[in-house]
Amino acid sequence: MNKYEVVYIIDPAVEEEARKELIAKFNTLIADNGGSVDKVEEWGKRRLAYAINYKTEGYYVLVNFQGEAELPRELERNLQISDSVIRYQVIKLLERKAGVKPRPVRVAPAAPEAEAAPAAEEAPVAEAVPAAEEAPAEETPAVE
Amino acid sequence: MSEDRGEKRPRPRGKRPRRKVCDFCVNKIEYIDYKDVNRLRRSINERGKILPRRMTGNCAKHQRQLSEAIKRARAIALLPYTVD
Repeated sequence: MNKYEVVYIIDPAVEEEARKELIAKFNTLIADNGGSVDKVEEWGKRRLAYAINYKTEGYYVLVNFQGEAELPRELERNLQISDSVIRYQVIKLLERKAGVKPRPVRVAPAAPEAEAAPAAEEAPVAEAVPAAEEAPAEETPAVE
Repeated sequence: MSEDRGEKRPRPRGKRPRRKVCDFCVNKIEYIDYKDVNRLRRSINERGKILPRRMTGNCAKHQRQLSEAIKRARAIALLPYTVD
């Protein structure tokens, strides 16, 4: 099972009921093909960044789902057939990107963090001084 | 001492360039989301072009992710391909 994410844009001219039907149709399609819908997010009517088929607005729907590798192709085929869908994009979510990997928990207490800030400012100065001293020291034997 | 070093490698005109730091590393962003339009907008110029690394100072890893995210956002009309 892989995780996928699809965004599709429905023609804003489509009536609310027909639109709901359409979204339900795609969701059942995912379920019928051995997948499962994790999340459906309707962004609603948005301005398109550029006109698609002379339309300047679109109804955005985001669906997160899981399924086998064949599922996105079947979904894309259906999205392509539907005249009301003016644009779609299916993306495979990498496990790392999906936020599965647990973030390492920082154990450091609050007090040392306050000290860390001034220390960071001092650090570059401290580094610069030895660097300036080292450089000429290396040069001298080389010249002789 | 420091004068000698300055003469050795003279900087061609202007002042020394400031070291730029990757904005995404600083903010500890693991994944650049193509849906986060407001963030992506900061990484394109007014013509809709992706800003190069030499201007933003992004690290290679994040620049790669960023360009991918911008291209995805363009495909679904969240960002423009061109503006004029």
